[in-house]
Amino acid sequence: MTDLRDLAVPTRPDPDLVGMLTELFDDYRSARVAPTEVVDLDGDLWRRLDGLGLTRLTGSEAAGGSGGGWLEAAALLGIAAGAAAPVPLAEHDVLGGWLLEAAGLANDGGLRTVCRPDPSGVALNVTWARDASSIVALWEDRDDWRVVDVPVDRVGIEERRNLAGEPSDTVEFDLGDLEAGVVVAHEIGEQFHLRGALARCAQVVGAMERIVEVTVDHARERTQFGRPIGRFQAVQNLVADVAAETALARAATDTAVARAAASDWRDPGMLFAVAVAKSCAGHSASVVVRNAHQVLGAIGTTLEHELHTLTKPILARRSEYGSLHEWDETLTALAASAGHDRLWSLVTTGRAAPRRPH
Amino acid sequence: MTRSMVPSVATEGPVLTELRLEVRAFLAEQIAAGAFVPHVDTWLTRWDRDFTRELGRRGWLGMVIPTEYGGQGRTYLERFVVTEELLVVGAPVAAHWVAERQIGPSLLRYGTEEQKHAFLPGISRGELTFGIGMSEPDSGSDLASVRTRAEQVEGGWRLTGTKVWTSGAHEADAFFALARSAPPDAAHRHDGLSQFIVDLRAPGVTIRPIISMAGDHHFNEVHLDGVFVPDDRVLGELGSGWSQVTSELGFERSGPERVLSTFPLLATAAQAMDDGRLPTDVGLGRHVARVAGLHQMSFAVSTALEAHENADTAAAVVKLLGTTEEGEIADYVDTLTASGWALDEELDTLLHAAILQRPGFTLRGGTNEILRGVIARGLGMR
Ligand SMILES: Cc1cc2nc3c(=O)[nH]c(=O)nc-3n(C[C@H](O)[C@H](O)[C@H](O)COP(=O)(O)OP(=O)(O)OC[C@H]3O[C@@H](n4cnc5c(N)ncnc54)[C@H](O)[C@@H]3O)c2cc1C
Repeated sequence: MTDLRDLAVPTRPDPDLVGMLTELFDDYRSARVAPTEVVDLDGDLWRRLDGLGLTRLTGSEAAGGSGGGWLEAAALLGIAAGAAAPVPLAEHDVLGGWLLEAAGLANDGGLRTVCRPDPSGVALNVTWARDASSIVALWEDRDDWRVVDVPVDRVGIEERRNLAGEPSDTVEFDLGDLEAGVVVAHEIGEQFHLRGALARCAQVVGAMERIVEVTVDHARERTQFGRPIGRFQAVQNLVADVAAETALARAATDTAVARAAASDWRDPGMLFAVAVAKSCAGHSASVVVRNAHQVLGAIGTTLEHELHTLTKPILARRSEYGSLHEWDETLTALAASAGHDRLWSLVTTGRAAPRRPH
Repeated sequence: MTRSMVPSVATEGPVLTELRLEVRAFLAEQIAAGAFVPHVDTWLTRWDRDFTRELGRRGWLGMVIPTEYGGQGRTYLERFVVTEELLVVGAPVAAHWVAERQIGPSLLRYGTEEQKHAFLPGISRGELTFGIGMSEPDSGSDLASVRTRAEQVEGGWRLTGTKVWTSGAHEADAFFALARSAPPDAAHRHDGLSQFIVDLRAPGVTIRPIISMAGDHHFNEVHLDGVFVPDDRVLGELGSGWSQVTSELGFERSGPERVLSTFPLLATAAQAMDDGRLPTDVGLGRHVARVAGLHQMSFAVSTALEAHENADTAAAVVKLLGTTEEGEIADYVDTLTASGWALDEELDTLLHAAILQRPGFTLRGGTNEILRGVIARGLGMR
């Protein structure tokens, strides 16, 4: 009989790493004081993560990183998001650290965030900009993509916050600084958006999985009419849909992560895979957020309750690195151009196979 | 650990990809030659014994049946990709669907040697076709309440009762009937049920058509009036019918037919958007994404089942979301069309069929309400 591994290879991150991260962030969550309206960087946690080699998880070992891949990075992003940990893991490591390495720029380990300024040098919604020591900018300069690492004292920062209450600032660069950036390969410029979108999916799904736990626990503990509300079929239905949508978002995200890890982002189906993840996670978010709040009742709408530390970031992140609408448009264009005969090939491989000669 | 309802995603290996392309090329030829006209929901509504036999000749039936019983001795994952390829082009697969998905695996697991030799080679060649006799007029979701009686007589059993919604009974050679072989015991309602292999041409079997709202005849009422079933046509253990019918639910619920019944419509709509016959709309992308995510989920569940991991709750998740989505596709395409607009025949035909088949998607094989209960139980809420 055929060996199972010739047929299908399940992809999962190293279980020891997942176990360690789960414990670390479970502890973090239980020790945390009540949630607040504004969410600031947790410097203590950041230093702890740094000590464990987790802030540069995906950096090459030569550049002082831990040599992890996308499977590990996605696990870390998800588990941290499940604890609503206010640390810039995506910005500093997966995106900023990667860009610096790709451009051959030095990384002193100082806290980084990352953005793509517009032609006038302005970038909106730059998460954690005010906390960074310098900002990695990816800039499209006519036909070239440039990467530059700009110390914060050389940029203008207007402090703003996103829906989740996290720093999400407007940053204004000096055009001269951007023009002095290192030219990088086109694929770097194109991949940035995909990597950012997939990192957001990993975070969204991690937060959703925590919501499943919170919702199930509440449905089992909260008693009305003399029994746990989870005994009511109407409540069971709400929770079942939270779990089901979360599972779909997880499958779509993990598929894209697995392809990225296996091909180091070279798989020509990456655009489709990321778009599928972003679309599934984004639409699932509507159901998950809505139903979870319904199950939790009034207590779930309060500042002191954990729920909003998960639902608000989910909604903030699903609109970053492209709105849901934009990703659905991308998918629509891919699907329409694949057409009747090649739509299935697009679904299974992310690429529309060459048209069959007639 | 985080609470993940579905097993890890898996990457398709080269063996499967090659098999896919082989099946795909064959189907393209068949369509080009006019061997069949693509349609929606074909695993229920398109019965074509010639096509089924051709698949048998090519080794694409009986895939999980060992070669000693005339099968291919391959794996559930290989069967998975073959069925996906058949469904997405809307091939006529109803004749072998039930035998291939349920009957073969049940016989392998519970059948006697004699039964395996009697049925499995015919199933693998696509010559023996089957139906499922579970539902009754008063027993739908509450399947354990079936009232068809099996009375022990000299050399076997006599079955009396009425089965309904029996898909393909008017075409099939036999069905598996779930019947009460011992009086009901209110404290143990799942006890005393048994499965019988019933020849649908046997004396005492009356099959009456039930016409669907689309005007088609695919399901039936099957009346059993003291139908004799010999002892050697009892499946598995007497009194274990309930656990036997529920044990294969993972495969039954997570398969590609729970996601892809309307894929031919989605593909036609994509083409129509490209040609300007339908307005460009982002809903297309949203549905394609969901189908892609569900394809991955369904494949992940199959991979887990192949590795003998329990995935019953995950299978319920796939069926709940998949059957909802295949119906949403029908409704979505409908919202894009205008009455009086010059649509092509192909899109029109697929769309109307999909709309009319849609109500059944979320009912057959366990309704979505029942599935949500299964998921809630999996989450420890009941
Ligand atoms: C196209 C099609 C093909 C079929 N083919 C076959 C076949 O070949 N063989 C066969 O045996 N059967 C077949 N069936 C029958 C199918 O399995 C039943 O329709 C299904 O089990 C539901 O039973 P019911 O239709 O009697 O609905 P009911 O069980 O009466 O349900 C009606 C409604 O009540 C809801 N409901 C019932 N109980 C509960 C509960 N406990 N909690 C919440 N809601 C509940 C249901 O979800 C549904 O919405 C087929 C059905 C269809 C539509």
